[in-house]
Amino acid sequence: MTYGFNRLSQTLCAAGLAVCVIVLAATPLRAGEDLWPVLKEQAFGDRPIAEEDGMVVLETPQKVEDAALVPMTVRIPPHVKDKLKSLSLFIDNNPDPKVATLTFGPAAGAGGERNFSTRVRVDNFSRARAVLELEDGSLHMASKFLAAAGGCAAMQAKDPEADQDGLGKMIVRTFPPALSSNPIWAGQVMIKHPNHNGMQLDINTAKFIPARYIKTMTVKRDGELVFEMDGTFSISTNPNFRFTFAKGEDNDLEVTAVDTDGVEFKGVSKRQGGS
Amino acid sequence: MLDDGHKPSAPCPMPRCCGCGVHALSRRNVIRAALAIASAPLLRYMPAHAASADFSEVAPGVFVHQGRYEVQSAENGGDIANASFVVGSDGVAVIDTSGSAKLGAELRDAIRAVTDKPIKYVINTHMHPDHVFGNAAFKEDNPEFVGHYKLARALGTRKESYLTANEEMIGKEAFAGSEIILPTRGIKEPTKLDLGDRELLLEPQPTAHTDNDLIVTDLKTNTLFLGDLLFSVHVPTIDGSIKGWLAVLDEMGKRKAARVVPGHGPKTMELPGALEPEHRYLAAIAGDVRRQIAEGKTLAEATKSAGFSEKDAWKLFDQYHVRNVTAAFAELEWE
Repeated sequence: MTYGFNRLSQTLCAAGLAVCVIVLAATPLRAGEDLWPVLKEQAFGDRPIAEEDGMVVLETPQKVEDAALVPMTVRIPPHVKDKLKSLSLFIDNNPDPKVATLTFGPAAGAGGERNFSTRVRVDNFSRARAVLELEDGSLHMASKFLAAAGGCAAMQAKDPEADQDGLGKMIVRTFPPALSSNPIWAGQVMIKHPNHNGMQLDINTAKFIPARYIKTMTVKRDGELVFEMDGTFSISTNPNFRFTFAKGEDNDLEVTAVDTDGVEFKGVSKRQGGS
Repeated sequence: MLDDGHKPSAPCPMPRCCGCGVHALSRRNVIRAALAIASAPLLRYMPAHAASADFSEVAPGVFVHQGRYEVQSAENGGDIANASFVVGSDGVAVIDTSGSAKLGAELRDAIRAVTDKPIKYVINTHMHPDHVFGNAAFKEDNPEFVGHYKLARALGTRKESYLTANEEMIGKEAFAGSEIILPTRGIKEPTKLDLGDRELLLEPQPTAHTDNDLIVTDLKTNTLFLGDLLFSVHVPTIDGSIKGWLAVLDEMGKRKAARVVPGHGPKTMELPGALEPEHRYLAAIAGDVRRQIAEGKTLAEATKSAGFSEKDAWKLFDQYHVRNVTAAFAELEWE
């Protein structure tokens, strides 16, 4: 671990890309302490959670290169036939450990691999978790350790002007399956939004840039709900989501996102050629 | 002419020091930190790494020190970037100050071994720690600290994390005294600085390696200091915009210069050849990433393959490449 730690911090820092090895101020508890029992209690009470039982798989990079932009993918393998109720993502040691909670609707789909991906900030060495709730109320968890630090307080925009340009622009895409018999399609939502976490210092005002991030997002296919998401600032700048949904009639996606300032952003997918 | 203010170089005091570095240049032109050993008050700046204050006079009055192709460590003390100074008849300008106050002090000693003229300007080509943390050693000279007009914001927002991270990597003792010194003068338009009988031209660039890259040209010798807009051997690192950087390289390729000084690489190189490997590297990433985006591939997939044709062409590829691809992907997916 020592090697990985040094290598990581060197990698990140030597590029001059801000990394705090320890960001105590922004961390509710020391990295060594296990926060999960508390988080679990808050989110799920005393309900049992099956761990690493193959119902849900979490993918994170082996080596985190950019703590402000860590890809996180949740896969629900095809052998899981049940309808999905909810999916919650956590990063234990982030200032707000809850990354996102998705509540699935009738167009979430079934009958193949279902997945959800986004990119997250990682403030401290931490465990990342995905907790899947199936229709029967059972809970299943997969987790991975992330050796990354400084993504929340330290990481600054590479080009703040560019980040403000076109704020609210949304790109929505759909991807038909390779096999036309597959009842699951894939979609992507990209939102141009700084997703400020309130921890970045503005040198000109010597004040922290106020938090402003995407708080809710609703994705519908042909008018039917795929999922509703509650998000936090643990999601990276320019939030980016990949997900699956049930094949429908037109397969048009309609997305509405609302940020903490109450501003609403909307986007629709372009129709796939020929479909 | 310019050598008026130069002190005569002493011969190498120790045989072993003549064995280090590249010395096609005459001894007269090679200033060593070892010189400082003869001077008692300077003992406190004794480097742990003997070659750290090697400066070569690459053109009359233009001195360059080459950093190592490494990431910061206790072993190298943060000596990983090139640092330069230019001597005019009225004063001296420093161009990048290396990665710690100690290295900055060694740089200052090297200047003082050459000239007593006042150090009027300390110029930073951009925000990165390995180019700015030596600034602290020049406070006593009360120079103008000069940088791109966006440098102050960039350093201000990263101050704490740069300090924490670099102290961690370099070590408390070797990093002692290092601080972020914000520029006292921000450059928004091309600007000339007069050093007496020679002028430096400062040109702020659009976002490329970072959002605060500044090119410095010594007009007298037509020497271009490109800062980290030019990497050689050391893999480039993207902390601004890959598109912007490729555009800046196109512009640089049209320039004529007697020599260019990279931010990481040999002390001098020649245009346009110096730019080619870096251009090839960035273009390889941009090409692969654009194709993968068009194919609907994800960021995670791209980081496993984009630009890997360049793997053997660079040092420190494993340390920086994946994050370069990550940055490129996050930028290019919005095209």
